[in-house]
Amino acid sequence: MAIGRRGFVKGATLGALAFTIGGIEVLMAPREARARNVPFRLLDAHQGETLEALGETLVPQAREAGIAHYIDQQLSVPPHECLLQARIFNVRPPFADFYRSVLVTIDGNSRKIFGKDFALLTAEDQRAFVDSLRQNKIEGWTGRPGGFVYAVLRADAVDVVYGTMEGYEALGIPYMAHIPPEKRW
Amino acid sequence: MAFEKVDLVIVGAGASGSVYASVLAKAGKKVVLLDSGPDWELSDLISSEIWGRRVKPAGAPILLEGKNPMGYAAQAGWGVGGATLHYFANFPRLLPTDFRMKSEHGRGHDWPIAYQDVAPFYDKVAREIGVSGDAKAEEKWRPAGEAYPMPPMKTFRNGDIWLKAFESVGIAMVPAPVGMNSVEFKGRPACIYDGWCHVGCPTGALANPLVTYLGEARKAGAEVRAWSTVTRLLTNQAGTRVIGVEYYDDKHQKQVQQASVVLLAAWSAQNPRLLLNSATDKHPKGLANASGLVGHFMMSHHVANTWAMFDEDVQNHMGTVGVQYMSYERYPKTSHAGAFGSSFVTAGFALKTADLANARGDLFGGELADYMKRAARHLAGIKTFGEEQPAAENRLELASEKDQFGMSLGKLTHSFDQDAVALWNANLEEGLRVAKASGAKEAWSARGAMPTSHLLGGTIMGTSAANSVVNSYGQSHEIPNLWVAGPGIFPTEGASNPTFTIFALSQRGAEQMASQWGTLTN
Repeated sequence: MAIGRRGFVKGATLGALAFTIGGIEVLMAPREARARNVPFRLLDAHQGETLEALGETLVPQAREAGIAHYIDQQLSVPPHECLLQARIFNVRPPFADFYRSVLVTIDGNSRKIFGKDFALLTAEDQRAFVDSLRQNKIEGWTGRPGGFVYAVLRADAVDVVYGTMEGYEALGIPYMAHIPPEKRW
Repeated sequence: MAFEKVDLVIVGAGASGSVYASVLAKAGKKVVLLDSGPDWELSDLISSEIWGRRVKPAGAPILLEGKNPMGYAAQAGWGVGGATLHYFANFPRLLPTDFRMKSEHGRGHDWPIAYQDVAPFYDKVAREIGVSGDAKAEEKWRPAGEAYPMPPMKTFRNGDIWLKAFESVGIAMVPAPVGMNSVEFKGRPACIYDGWCHVGCPTGALANPLVTYLGEARKAGAEVRAWSTVTRLLTNQAGTRVIGVEYYDDKHQKQVQQASVVLLAAWSAQNPRLLLNSATDKHPKGLANASGLVGHFMMSHHVANTWAMFDEDVQNHMGTVGVQYMSYERYPKTSHAGAFGSSFVTAGFALKTADLANARGDLFGGELADYMKRAARHLAGIKTFGEEQPAAENRLELASEKDQFGMSLGKLTHSFDQDAVALWNANLEEGLRVAKASGAKEAWSARGAMPTSHLLGGTIMGTSAANSVVNSYGQSHEIPNLWVAGPGIFPTEGASNPTFTIFALSQRGAEQMASQWGTLTN
């Protein structure tokens, strides 16, 4: 058996995501991409803000962890390379269609209920909205059920906050990788 | 480029296909495996929940319908190794009662074979690929067989903590048999218990096909063609024999691979999709489908998850994703009053952060953050798998929509019946009783949508074309050189995780194919 034990690292260069800066692809974690203000590939600024607001409401620290950059980068790759939970939730590619439509529906309902886009709500109203979303209690909601949308977005936020090596470390859980992801992602 | 005709073409390089490839290649047959996804190597199996999703389905979607849609993408595989690249390697076997459901209870189907027909192949598979466990301890519930080649796996507090509580409700737990190495086995190392089994084990401690049957098949000369999507089986003009398959290669070019024998091993949903999509004027309803049964009797297990938070550190980051303890105590079909079907009880498994979060899917924001801190090192769970009865209306059929190659998409309709719902509820209630008896400071059942686990049926075995698609070896009743393998040929599902039985039935089928080769090719 030629395969080694823990610490065996072939393939680890796949551990970071490819972001584009000045036309050049650079491997980095989404947190770093956000900190360096890397432009989105597919999302517009408002969509990015809305995803960050949703992520932060669902899982504290998701904004800083780069949830919008993570989702944006993953939407830009072919579906068979995409790592988003949407794939596991049987969302049909292209996954960008799902996210775009969800963001439009969330903003539409947020305006209907609170008179503002979701990203502009107070933290308390954002929380109330997400709680209604979770329980399928938003009247007039269209598209995939609110509870399903909640589950997918929550899973994305859990990924960026708790699914990384930093996330494990913050919870005091040993990561114990056989093949560690590069840059602790 | 025209490919040379081969002896056997196998559609799908997962659990069952790899067994056939190994047996037939070693028998000197020219074997080609076609798989629609990538050709993974062990070094691709990064220890990460996120990166681990690369081995989940990404081809043409299966459309999911019914009251309890199948959790298809979480269960299925993508690429060489198939779902067994990310399986949990729990290796319980079916019990004799599973083969006689109709005779004993007037429900479902009888298998055309008995437990005794499969038992020698359970033992053979265990010897071939390695199983850790305590066979003697299991024999209180099943006929005696060979000892497992390795002792049980190590246990951890997240498993041990449940034992007294199970005992208090009359459930004896024994070491779970798993397809993992508790000690070095055939040059493959012992497990290091870091819980990354479900994203693919790169060390070879877990018996995935890359380090077992497929590796042997390749050594014996079998060829694996990745990124090769089969769209149709081809027949002779009379419709009496299959002559090969049509597929699209990695450059999306249409190819034909002729073969003396065709084996479908592309899992329970894709196999019937291919049979239905291969209709001809001689087989207007699809191949092997004169009975109209192709695609019917799809089954899944339901899972009753119970969670508990303990004061002590239960080391929930340690262990394997396969379970440490198991029991057949609730396996008799009428174990729970008011419910019907077998239950398979398990405890003790490693958890990753996504598991911690999913155990309380209702929490978000600050409450989730607080809970995650408590759950780290203190959460443990038990799982009871439950059986559903085969129902014709749970089915795979062709949709009007096509994939990128012009092949109709599969539409999978699945609903649990009242028996299944009652059994799931009974298992949740019992799980909660166990959790409360365990001394946990908090305990809860994972209610909400009934989880589906595993996918079986769709090309069931039986005694004739009037009641089934294939015989007990997987040979189709109507076309002798067309075979089907995998969980799709199960006529009932029991409650045990199916992969050990898939390997055993595939070994049995492959040996039959090899021994009867002359009759298949004439």
